[in-house]
Amino acid sequence: MANANNTTDDVIVLNEEGAKFGRAMLIAGLVLIAVGVGVGLSFDTRGLKGLLHSYLIAFMYVLSLGLGLLWIVIIQHLSKARWSVVVRRVAEVLAAGLPIVCALGLGIIIPMWLHNADLYIWVDHELVQNDHLLHHKAPYLNVSFFTVRCAVYFAFWGGLSTFFLKTSVRQDETGKAELSGLMHGVSAPAMILFAITLTFASIDFLMSLDPTWFSTMFGVYYFAGCIMSGHALWALSLMWLQSHGHITTSVTAEHYQDIGKMMFGFVVFWAYVGFSQFMLIWYADIPEETHWYHWRFEEPWKQVSIALLIGHFVLPFLGLMSRWVKRKKVSLAFWCIWLLIVQYIDMFWLVYPNGEAADRVPPSALVDLTLAAGMVALFLGSAIRRAAGINLIPTKDPALSDSLAFHNI
Amino acid sequence: MAQITHYSQWQDAPAGDNEFAKITDAVVRVVETPRPPPAWYMAFALALSWLGILQLCIGFLFWEGIGIWGNMHPVAWGWPIVNFVFWVGIGHAGTLISAVLFLFRQNWRTAINRSAEAMTIFAVICALLFPGIHIGRPWLPYWMFPLPNQMDLWPQFRSPLAWDVFAVGTYFTVSLLFWYMGMIPDLATIRNRAKSTLRRFIYGALAMGWRGSSRQWHRYERAYLILAALATPLVLSVHSVVSFDFATAQLPGWHTTIFPPYFVAGAIFSGFAMVVTLLIPARQFFGLKGLIEMKHLDMMCRIILATGTIVGYAYAMEFFVAWYSGSHYEGFAFINRAFGPYAWAYWTMVSCNVIFPQMFWFKKIRGNLWAMMLICIVVNVGMWFERFVIIATSLHRDFLPSSWGYFIPTPFDFLVLMGSFGLFFTLFLLFCRFLPIVAIAEIKSVHPAAHGDH
Amino acid sequence: MSDEESKSESAMDNTEDKPKSDAPTTANGEPLHGVLAEYHTPKELLAAAEKIRDAGYTVWDTYSPFPVHGIEKAQGIPWTILPWLVFGAGCTGLTVGLGMQLWTNGVDYKYLISGKPFFSIAANIPITFEITVLFSALTAFGGMLALNRLPKPSHALDHVERFNRVTDDRFFALIEATDPKFDDTATRTLIAETSPHHVEDVPADTRSENLPKFFTYVAAFLALTALIPLGYAYSVRGTTSTQPRIHIVPDMDFQQKFKPQRGNPFFEDGRAMRPQIEGTVASGDLQDDSHFYRGKVGKAWARTFPSRFTPNEAAMQRGRERYDIFCVPCHSVTGNGSGIVAQHALELAEGTWIPPTNLTLANIKQQPVGELYNTITHGIRNMPAYGSQIDPEDRWAIVLYVRALQRAQAGNVSHVPAAKRAGLK
Repeated sequence: MANANNTTDDVIVLNEEGAKFGRAMLIAGLVLIAVGVGVGLSFDTRGLKGLLHSYLIAFMYVLSLGLGLLWIVIIQHLSKARWSVVVRRVAEVLAAGLPIVCALGLGIIIPMWLHNADLYIWVDHELVQNDHLLHHKAPYLNVSFFTVRCAVYFAFWGGLSTFFLKTSVRQDETGKAELSGLMHGVSAPAMILFAITLTFASIDFLMSLDPTWFSTMFGVYYFAGCIMSGHALWALSLMWLQSHGHITTSVTAEHYQDIGKMMFGFVVFWAYVGFSQFMLIWYADIPEETHWYHWRFEEPWKQVSIALLIGHFVLPFLGLMSRWVKRKKVSLAFWCIWLLIVQYIDMFWLVYPNGEAADRVPPSALVDLTLAAGMVALFLGSAIRRAAGINLIPTKDPALSDSLAFHNI
Repeated sequence: MAQITHYSQWQDAPAGDNEFAKITDAVVRVVETPRPPPAWYMAFALALSWLGILQLCIGFLFWEGIGIWGNMHPVAWGWPIVNFVFWVGIGHAGTLISAVLFLFRQNWRTAINRSAEAMTIFAVICALLFPGIHIGRPWLPYWMFPLPNQMDLWPQFRSPLAWDVFAVGTYFTVSLLFWYMGMIPDLATIRNRAKSTLRRFIYGALAMGWRGSSRQWHRYERAYLILAALATPLVLSVHSVVSFDFATAQLPGWHTTIFPPYFVAGAIFSGFAMVVTLLIPARQFFGLKGLIEMKHLDMMCRIILATGTIVGYAYAMEFFVAWYSGSHYEGFAFINRAFGPYAWAYWTMVSCNVIFPQMFWFKKIRGNLWAMMLICIVVNVGMWFERFVIIATSLHRDFLPSSWGYFIPTPFDFLVLMGSFGLFFTLFLLFCRFLPIVAIAEIKSVHPAAHGDH
Repeated sequence: MSDEESKSESAMDNTEDKPKSDAPTTANGEPLHGVLAEYHTPKELLAAAEKIRDAGYTVWDTYSPFPVHGIEKAQGIPWTILPWLVFGAGCTGLTVGLGMQLWTNGVDYKYLISGKPFFSIAANIPITFEITVLFSALTAFGGMLALNRLPKPSHALDHVERFNRVTDDRFFALIEATDPKFDDTATRTLIAETSPHHVEDVPADTRSENLPKFFTYVAAFLALTALIPLGYAYSVRGTTSTQPRIHIVPDMDFQQKFKPQRGNPFFEDGRAMRPQIEGTVASGDLQDDSHFYRGKVGKAWARTFPSRFTPNEAAMQRGRERYDIFCVPCHSVTGNGSGIVAQHALELAEGTWIPPTNLTLANIKQQPVGELYNTITHGIRNMPAYGSQIDPEDRWAIVLYVRALQRAQAGNVSHVPAAKRAGLK
């Protein structure tokens, strides 16, 4: 009926303007990171400790975007989703920005090798020897094991995202339907390993900032934010491509509505996980656990906590509820940008208020934002470069026609 | 008027001169047949006798008191709460299939959603039975509701047990509405084919005068979508609230933040296993193999595998964090769980819930009805043990070694559990006999004939 | 907009012009409800619906065994307001849920439990959420029924036998005779153009819309009988009765035990309480030392402490401690009778209050120790008896301490030991 659209009259390869933009982003990213590190080391009164905190926030933020998109790719294959085929390639390309994000992780690991305990106090040998609790955790929280784990995470994420992109692109060339089956087969064990690596990465990078604190839900909490912001970035990238004349007829309001629904779902899921974690710790009121929230409910962090509750749940929940908000690009773009900002605030909130007030470093807007902008630019630049020369739509996917003709009820 | 054949024999091939009529015939003849298959009678007789056991046990319980059970310090919560959580968990699959899979446009759900929803209702009835008979004074359950009274007292809303009342009560109400609303068009189908006046009257009253008008369908579909959207967070909240009963406490083994999603995943896991356990014989005996196909069962097995793996993730996280926390008590609770007096229960749970479902990785197993049935029963046993492990192992050795003990169930514990299955199967068999066990209208709406050029 | 208005105006003109006798009828001459067309596939129905919609009809509908995809557009069905009703109900549920908890636990009946605030968002979220969902779901279901005018027991279409297949495999369109554009010939032509498989006139439902009389009588009877218990409860409200109340469930009101002053058929005398067996003394009841236990020597108050009590430093300290616990509230620390209870009673200006005695007055000083002991044991005027609360040993210790207080009030410098006089001002 109304679905006469197909990919033949659509621009499905990145144009010159887009490729140029990708290169510019890559360079801008490197420059911004260099500026951020430079300012952090020279002018910033907080010193190296402050720089490392800013760096960790930016790193965990950009990692959450990459992991969110990797999950999106895995779940589409796992569920053999048909509606998303036309928009899946963009997610694959974005997820393929993960290797460069992983390389940024060296910025966290190298100071550790140099026995810098500014970020993670468990790196300090002497402290660990004299602290019963840290001593107990030393078999897990030590620099060599941490390095090995990071190597495993990074290799897995980088390898998996490259595998999905390459296999999918190969299908464009060969048109073999078996490749869909291969990706479906890989997606199931990949999902399990993804869950495990993401959980332990969140424990390693974020939870161990306060090595005395623990929560079994923590991995799920980081996961919820990842997926939510991954969808936001996905939708924004599609809009950016469309506004530059790509895939204008293939991708329709129906696809945006579905991405919006998933985003809405994960806004609620984040709230559910966040509430459950908070409520259970608040209710039981055991000193081993409550201090973590106590720090976040003291001034000035109390304001950030409340802002997070309102900005990360209440407002987007009300805002994204309606059907037309998810179908109109302007309104959806607004909420995507909004959610990407609150995801950053979430990371900020997780990293800074750890330890007693006297031991903390204050945030520095300049260093924080320069590094975050630099890493996001680097990530996107790398992703756009991987998009160069390949189709932006998996043209030979057997389910493509279903996806093109897809309609919400 | 269409030729309505009388079905005295049980055949698989549906009658009817077109695709839609075939679907109608296949489902409605289960209700219209004068005599159900002998297997139904046998199952019903067995279920009724078990229901009788339940009634006798409850009668004796009210006469004699809670002491007939093994509930005793330190495991004062005992089996009734284990059974309660078990049945609530079973009751999750129905709404999940109806609501969540509906929102995700998983059309294969239409083959199984009706029976899964019915199963939800009956499982929640079984679940509600246990707190009802466990409160000691079963004539005072209205104390749990905020009713103005001569004592000027109000319920204590900060208690997770009060949350339970609202969560399970709301869940039951919404599931019932969802189930009933989905059935209205199908009840109208039975009404329109009814031969006797009584039948026409009863099904007509239940169908409320549904005539399939498109203007009505429009509002009906909106309402169905809204109910699905409401039921999705609701289904998450119910087992989360049940998990709060434990997790808000300070007891090691209970107090852990992953409990809410872990309970929800376990509930879906056990619920799907129960659906498969019930549907394999139902499709066999009622000749519904054409509607409830092998591919639907295959999908269910995949979901069982996925949720079983999530449950395994939660077990592993609990263990890791018990060690990582460095808390002596946390560590002890989990070592005691795995290697203490209840090690047998713990390893039963792990093997049933995490190891056995891994067989579903193999396509062959997902295509073998006997293997499927066996694994699903094993999963249900495992999920019952999960609740038992959580409750018994955490309570039986708390902070004070002088009050340590070991839970020993009495014969009445076994009989009441058995009887609750009798109640469940009685209701389910009655449903199979008198109500449309497959969503006729929904299955037609996703049938290729509804879109193609027939 | 103006286009539609003019359309409906012209439609009204039409109806006015038409004489009443021209009201459409079926072939048999019955009043016509509408014209029903039957189709075999959703596709045919969609095409027909588009045609009828474009012809400008308003009072018409299509009927199908399942929701036909795209029929809303083809038929021009306006978007339902149901989501807004549900949203409103959700907001109401949220307010009711929070308000209920705030009022009951935070205002009306405050009850501290495990140090939790009376009202806190964290602990009150779950119930609020559940009530929000409950209200929304009930509204979604109830709203759907109400907007669809269900339940609807009878309808003109029920008389059309072919229409029974609407819930099976057939698709129908019905243009009602009340439609302003309805015209006996034009409408039929239009329907014929949609190539239906069958066309049929639907006669109007002439059955009475009223319930059968029988239903009314039964309903009225049931309603009246339902009022009887309420009426009875109202009539006996506030009355008194000497009858014991009805115990539907006895709870623990009646227990298998014998209470004092009640009968017990087991014993010959029929009493539940048993008298002491003659010639025996209960353990601890043999108080044969009258001086020690009653403060009396012969018939007179004892003037000395009993031999079993040794007035020494330890006894004095013990007496002071007991005095501070039991006596100070009324008699004050110094024994002058201005304790905190007495002060408060004076503040309240209680008319019947008898002030506690000033223990340092001369007449008390002159009382024998045995009499003081007896006063503590049995009380005096409005002072209660302390015999059951304070052991005899301690009562004597208090007496000793009271004596010390009496002397302290009358003391002078000479009573202070020489070594400590320098410390005095």
